[in-house]
Order: sequence, then structure tokens, then C-alpha cells
Amino acid sequence: MTDLFLGIDIGSISTKGVLIDENRTIVARTYLWTEGNPTEAARRVIDDLKSQIDHEQAVVRAVGTTGSARRLVGAMTNAAVVKNEITTHAVGTTFLHPNVRTIFEIGGQDSKIICVEGGIAVDYAMNTLCAAGTGAFLSSQAHRLGLEVEEFGEIALASKRPANIAARCTVFAESDLVHKIQVGYSREDIVAGLCKAVASNYLNNVGKGKKIVAPVVFQGGVSKNAGVIRAFEDELGMEILVDEDGHLMGAFGAALLASDTPVSKREVFDFDVADFDFKTREIECAKCANHCEIICVYKNDEIIDAWGNRCEKGEVKTKR
Amino acid sequence: MADYSFYLDFFVRDAHIWLQLEKLRPPKLLAPRKRKKRDRHARTRVGFFRYSYYDIAFKYFVEQVLDADYVALPEPTKLTLEMGTRNSNDFVCAPFKHILGDFIEALEAGADVLVQFAGPCRLGYYGELQESILRDMGYEFEMLNFATLTGKPLREYIAAGKKKVNPDLSVPHGMRHMLVVFKMIENLDEAYDYYLANAGFEVEPGSFDRALSTYHAAMRAAASDRDITEAHRQGMTSLKALPIDKPRNPVRVGIIGEYFTAVDPHSNLGVDRKLIDMGVELHRLVNMTNRNLRYNEKNLRAGISDYVSYDMGPTSSINIVAALRYANEGFDGIIHLKSSGCTPEIDCVPVLQRISRETKVPILFLSYDSQTSDTGLDTRLEAFYDMIARGKVYR
Repeated sequence: MTDLFLGIDIGSISTKGVLIDENRTIVARTYLWTEGNPTEAARRVIDDLKSQIDHEQAVVRAVGTTGSARRLVGAMTNAAVVKNEITTHAVGTTFLHPNVRTIFEIGGQDSKIICVEGGIAVDYAMNTLCAAGTGAFLSSQAHRLGLEVEEFGEIALASKRPANIAARCTVFAESDLVHKIQVGYSREDIVAGLCKAVASNYLNNVGKGKKIVAPVVFQGGVSKNAGVIRAFEDELGMEILVDEDGHLMGAFGAALLASDTPVSKREVFDFDVADFDFKTREIECAKCANHCEIICVYKNDEIIDAWGNRCEKGEVKTKR
Repeated sequence: MADYSFYLDFFVRDAHIWLQLEKLRPPKLLAPRKRKKRDRHARTRVGFFRYSYYDIAFKYFVEQVLDADYVALPEPTKLTLEMGTRNSNDFVCAPFKHILGDFIEALEAGADVLVQFAGPCRLGYYGELQESILRDMGYEFEMLNFATLTGKPLREYIAAGKKKVNPDLSVPHGMRHMLVVFKMIENLDEAYDYYLANAGFEVEPGSFDRALSTYHAAMRAAASDRDITEAHRQGMTSLKALPIDKPRNPVRVGIIGEYFTAVDPHSNLGVDRKLIDMGVELHRLVNMTNRNLRYNEKNLRAGISDYVSYDMGPTSSINIVAALRYANEGFDGIIHLKSSGCTPEIDCVPVLQRISRETKVPILFLSYDSQTSDTGLDTRLEAFYDMIARGKVYR
């Protein structure tokens, strides 16, 4: 009987799940679209992972969740660890690449840079206020060009002379892009230009003021795009490492943290949790003019957790 | 119906006799005095904007120095900021929106006069702009805008106070109490500094908050120098008596940033409290004591001459000094707070980044506007804490 640990990373665009064993190697992995429904996505991830392991031989001892819906799915799976995505990415990446110095991460809606020294994260930055230069930007532009975002990398690599696209802001980038299309730039050059815009936007905004030291590991959904990787390499003049499991690093980090939970606090995870009916309801607290939006999570119509209140007036009593 | 005209005749006759008797009364020895000037004016109601716990000092200033009524505002709500945002330009710094919302609430609560500060950045224009926005919204009020008085002699300040707030302003009384206001601000900051450094290690959850709010209530009720001394003595004693469980080497974080956002918990979504809940020792050099009462920009700048040659803005020098001090004292991290688009603080960022690179102290930069979400802030603070706390274990 082997002990397994489950990590789930529920992002804005995609949901990732991994199962690791006691030796901290990934034994099962899954990656699918969140489609705006984090509970459903988590359920599908759990179902998918369930089918990948032998239940006679293995049992899941603890769960870790991360990503923007970490709290919701954490309540749903009774997770031992609910951690922010920055910490889990740092933990996961430094475990796989002990000598890494800089971690780039570009996801669907956010992007971050983590500086590492001696295996410990020493500095980080995350995009604020603006989602320019993230995966969402690339996929909306892919849609405009009538392409699939997955084809981007290959097309971009074919370009000899990437178009110069204003990188500062998605809105400007988009109008610049339309202009470049209309004056007749080739499709490869435009796609390569977009990839370059993402890379330089990232370095100018998120990476601003940070010392970028090799080895650099690049991860998140956008790291699957060979065009962006090449743009980074051109800009920085250093090799960019991309892990095959780079997009799973948040989930892997969450699973690693879950595996650190003391034995006394471990609880056998029941895969059947996916069969329960989870519902969330948003209540506007009317106790003062703040009108806090309180999120209540119900499992089979029984309230299991609630959050969002700023004061004790809006506290919701739960069983847990 | 009874006929009362018979009685009426008697009344008329009596009144007539009374009038004649009045004429016979000897003249008064002293001519009747005109009513006193202060009785001829209704007391003015003065409203301030919300700024952390300094409403206590503002209240004392209004009641004792200006000798007027203070319009106390309740805790701000989401609606406050919404009203402020709706009536301001979208690109203006977030403090402007907060203050405008506060002013609207103060006017709704019956304020006759609003008070706005002077400042060496855009804050200097706030008063004028807010006055014109509020007038356009149809409010009638007077504005005591200190920005119009900057650099002018004291008598102009007194004249403005008399004209806008209280014509009977007593100058000697006001001056004496102005010094008390300064002392009060120093006391309030001293108590809060103790709270910041120790509340993260309280043994009984909520004990520091309770002690601090009792202290603030006592200070709010103070009406004299002696009241303040007593309230402060008691408050500090009760704060220091609270049991704490502080490790020998706690996680220490310095907070720096723009004057309004770094200090006011409603503008920074309660960063202090969030970090205290994680068990962090906090320090913040920027407060009214250090920035207004004891500010000596030249002296501060002398300590950072390796980094800065000129005064870059309202809180630039003090923030860079603070960052350098925290870094040299071995703090685990620094958090820089500003409203998005705060130009002077944006100018500080490269200097702070250089300090961060040279001294290896991580700095988290946070920008706030009226749309900033609590969740995003939690993620960043939590990650920052995880990072510095883990770094501490391995170092």
C-alpha cells in the first residue's frame, strides 16, 4: 500500500492535478480547462486522477490546493494545505531544479517572477492591476487571427523577422496588431511579434528591477509556447529551461506541501467526494453599508464553509 | 357659544394700564448691552476626512483650538469609496477618492466647514478641486483649505480660522491647545508603534485590539492636556501589561510608502492587521509624528546621500531612510504601499530596488486604487510571508 498526496491547482483558465508518492515523484497528472466552473473542473480532475491509479495499491493521505479557487476547492476536498500559487510554484520548482535562480511563470490571468538563492525564494513580483501579456491575451489574439493558441509556437518559429508590436498594454497591442495585419505583414511575423510582445511586456513590467540570473526556469501555460520561449532567449541571451511538467508545477508544489503534513493530521482522501453535490451561493450581508459578499459553500445542501465577511457581524456558522 | 367679549374688554383695559405703568418706570442706570458677539453666531460644525486614528487629534483640534463642533464620522463603508469614486476623475490617486467620499458623508452629517491639508504633491490641489466638485454637486459649505495658506505668516492662518470657522477664536487659548494637539499625535503614534511591534504575538486573540480601542476611546474623550496625559499613561500601561509570546527572533517587516495609503487602514485594506494575524513584528516610520512634527528632510537626506541628491517628494526621503534602516537592522522584508499613479513614490521605486539588491532584503511593492481586491492582496501578502519566513528558517 503506497501513500499518495494530491495537489490541485485551480487557475482562472486551466485546472491542474497531480498525485505524488512518498518519493515525491509524480505518478498521475491531469490538465484541463476550468471553463469558468472551478468546482466542476476540480471534480473532473479528481475523476481523471482516480482512473489513473490502482486503488488496491494506493491511498491518498493528504490534499493540497492552490490557484485562485484554492479556498473553494480546499473546502470541497477538506484539504490539509491551502496555499497561494507563488509559494507552491517556488516549492515545486526548487524541488525539481535545486540550482534554479529565476522562475518565470505566465498563466492565464497572472504572471510572476520568483528569484531564488540557495534553493530559497528570496524575492518575487506579480503583475498588478493589468493582465497584459498573459495567456488570456495570447488566446484572444489567436481567436482574432483565426488560429488555435496551441499552434502559435510553431508558427512563430517560422518567422524570420517578427513584427514590432506595442507591448505595453493589451489595448494598444491589439490596435497595433490590427494595423499590422491590415498593412500586410505575414501571419508568422505577426504571431512571432505577439510572442515577443508577451516576453518584453513581462520583462518590463513583472521583471522590472529584478536581477535575472541563469538558470531560468519558465513555466505556466504560456511556457508551452515555443515562440515565447525563443523571444525570452533572444531578449535575455540565456537559455530558458522548460520542464515537461512545467504547467503542473503549482499542483506539484501543493502536493509537496501536503506531503509535509504531520501524520496525525493526515486524513484518507475519498475520491468519491467528486460524487457529492457542491454548490456555492453568494449572499450580500445586509448588516451594514459595507455589503460584504459572503460566499457559502454547500455540500449536499449542508453548509461546510463560508468566507468574504469583513467583520464578525457577517459570520456564518458552519459545522467544520 | 359663550360670549367672551366681556372678558376681552377687561384684558384690553388691563394692557392699557400696564403700558402706562411702563412709562412711569425710572430709567435704567446702565444702557442695555448688545448681545455678546459669540451669542450672535451659531457654532460652526467642522468636518475632516478620515485618516487612520488621527480623527482623535482632529476632533481635539476642532473642539479646543477652533472652538467649534466636530462632525464625527462613522466607520467608512464600501459606499463611501463608491461615492468618492463616482464623483472623481478615474485617474486621480486613490486617496482623493477616499477623501471625497468622506467629505460627502461629512456634509450629509451636517458639516458647515470642511478642512483639507496642504501637501507638496498633488495633495496640494486636492482641496481646491474637491471644493469645486462638491459645490457642483450642490452642497453649500466653507472650505478651510490649508493649501491656500502654505508659506504665509501665522496671522493669515488665524484670520482664515476666524473667517471660516469661528469669529471669536481665542488666539492664546488656541495656541496653547495646538501644542497639546501635537503632543496628542505623538502619544497616539507611540501607542500604535507598540501595537504594530507586539500585537502579532498576543497570547489572547483580540486583546491588543481591545486595549487599543479602549485607549483611543479615552483619548477621544480627552478635553485637556491633563486628560491626555492620564489617558496615555493608562493606555500604555494596559497595552504593555498584555501577555505576549514573542520568539527571540521574530519575522520583522518594515512598512513604508505614501503618506495616506501606508498609514490609513481603510485605504490599504488593513495590511497592518493582515500581517499581524500572520505573526509579524511590524515597524512603520511614516506617521504624522515623524513626517509632520519632527520632519527634517535635510537631515534625513544626509543619511541617504549615497542614493539621493534631491528631495524627491513628500515622503520619499523618509521612506528611503526607513528602508535603509530596516535593511541594516536585519529586517526580513519591507512592504512598500502606494496608491497607483503616485508619482513621487514611483520615483522612489528604483532607489528601493537598488537598496533591495545591495542589502538582499526583499521588498514587496503594492499599488492600490479603488478597485484593488482583498483576495489579490491576501495572495501577495501570504506569498511574501511564506517566502521571508522560509528564508529565515534556512538562513
